[in-house]
Amino acid sequence: MRVAIIGIGKMGLLHAGILNALDGVELCAMSDTSKYLLGIVKNLKPIPVHDDYLKMLDREKPDAAVIATPVKLHVPMMRECAKRGIHFLVEKPLSLNAPEAEPLIHEVADKKLVTMAGYMLRYAETFRKAKQVIASGALGRIQSVQGSSYVGQLFKPGKGWRYSRAESGGGVVIGQATHLLDLMHWYFGDPVRVSATCQHLYSEDVEDAAHGQLEFAHGVSGWFDCSWSRRHHRLLEIEVRVQAENGDLMVNDDSLRLHLEQPASGHAAGWTHWKKPDLFEGVPIDVGGPQYTRQDEAFARAVLDGGSVETDLAAAWRVQKTVDAIYHSADRRGEPVTP
Amino acid sequence: MSTTPMIDPILLGHNQFFGVNHLEAGAGNEKAIYFSDVARILDVVQHARSCGVHAMMMSTHERALAVADGFRRDGTLQREFGVYLLIPYVAKYIKQANEKGLVNVVTDSLGNSSITEKLGTLWQGGIGALTGDATRILTTLIDFEVGPFRDLNLKSIVLHDVLADLALGLDMPEVFATFDRHVRDKYGAIPGYGTKNLPMMAAMLKRAGVENPFIMAAINKKGFWVNPSLESCERTLREEKLRLLAMSSLAAGYLKPDEAYAYLAGLPNISSVVVGVSSRHHAEETFGAIQRHLGARTSS
Repeated sequence: MRVAIIGIGKMGLLHAGILNALDGVELCAMSDTSKYLLGIVKNLKPIPVHDDYLKMLDREKPDAAVIATPVKLHVPMMRECAKRGIHFLVEKPLSLNAPEAEPLIHEVADKKLVTMAGYMLRYAETFRKAKQVIASGALGRIQSVQGSSYVGQLFKPGKGWRYSRAESGGGVVIGQATHLLDLMHWYFGDPVRVSATCQHLYSEDVEDAAHGQLEFAHGVSGWFDCSWSRRHHRLLEIEVRVQAENGDLMVNDDSLRLHLEQPASGHAAGWTHWKKPDLFEGVPIDVGGPQYTRQDEAFARAVLDGGSVETDLAAAWRVQKTVDAIYHSADRRGEPVTP
Repeated sequence: MSTTPMIDPILLGHNQFFGVNHLEAGAGNEKAIYFSDVARILDVVQHARSCGVHAMMMSTHERALAVADGFRRDGTLQREFGVYLLIPYVAKYIKQANEKGLVNVVTDSLGNSSITEKLGTLWQGGIGALTGDATRILTTLIDFEVGPFRDLNLKSIVLHDVLADLALGLDMPEVFATFDRHVRDKYGAIPGYGTKNLPMMAAMLKRAGVENPFIMAAINKKGFWVNPSLESCERTLREEKLRLLAMSSLAAGYLKPDEAYAYLAGLPNISSVVVGVSSRHHAEETFGAIQRHLGARTSS
């Protein structure tokens, strides 16, 4: 399969590096509006580079494309790919808001295109294992859940598209906590009610921190908390906690802790602690972490074999609806909103 | 250009000083608080010396600048303690890229102070004007990163695995050839290559014309961070001519030193081990185990 990259930022380069090294995948072209970045790539790699992605799609006729551009460009670019029958992997978040992306869902389904949004935490060892444990029912009826997403990234007004609502759709909620929200959707289903508040600490146009309540089906209640201005968090740290009738579970990037009152679904009573080395499996190439490789492998496999992936456009759209509900609620001082 | 330095059999690791902990981010953050007092880092360096360790890995993290100042004040450390400099400090650039986008990171870094002049003509044009200059950008970035550490006992300059593995994935042998040449010619240091993909990297460096490369990669019997598999990495070590700087030998603290180093002792081509310690006791235990198991094995 021939794949083209739209947007040579850090994510575009990461996907390019991984996909180029996977069996059965050929990196056929790259595009960006920065001639400066194109120049560097052109110097080091004998592949066509374009400053107009539409020209690239028409001339190089790739089977698939990676869209790694500012959020406001995602929907128009997905539409252009879909029009040409090109499968695509779009970086997260999906779109500025849910209504913007809705018509695309039917379009790609009609054309049987493989679509994927970059919610790569589903391919990280610990979070994947947590999904297995939760889906096994070992915990019994789930009572309450909490999720947090913190990084020490912003302590002065930021520069660039991420801090302009018109280009990014919002701040830390849509830009980073969508990873957390995607996991919570995956683990517990779609929230049925949301109420949230947002805080502006350094940015005028977008929120730097947010907190809110999430209510899921069957009376599962929970909250989320996120900030990109938390000191002492060198890397993005995402954590989910679950309390249930038969025990509890805590998962983050590094480990998964399970406590069960009674043995269930093959898990012993008492504490079980999986650390990353317990769950690690090698990948064909690791560029930015094995989860990105597994994600790109899943995408390539779906395109090559005519399959599909879990983190497709429809799944990402449901996360987007929750994001919209969080923002609507925050605009109304935390009033409950149904996504 | 001076003669190439000898590789040290044991290197003091640096991750714990900068809050990196691959088993638990929370514990890493705690360590970062403890080591925010640079005197505590220098104490660990002295514990390592008393255990017979004469070199350390150092990133270009801003705290490393303070460590370098400590070395200068000491004098002996500046002259004698070997520094293996890991460049660039990728987390810093990723953070900046999140703040302002990749283009601004590249242009702001290159636009910085002394090197603007050197690159002068780059600013004028687009793609055409840049042809042939990616090499110059790379060597300029190396100089930019190495600059503040040049007056230390710089034995090796190691390309960070994130950048090395990106160039590996993108299949850009010129990046490695350029790095190798520049580090040898300008600094008389050993060029090193960080990677999470040992077999692929060994093949790439061979293609790039780098002989008997000094590669830093994870190796441990748990197979943690060993790609594509432990078996394939062991085969590369047996069959290729390379010098491995073994990292993650304790699988991020998962393995006990004795079992970890007994395993490494059974592998060929391990020239050096890098491992972080945080206290005198920890230094004695860990370095002691390496010396017991690998004492006669690690070589230059």
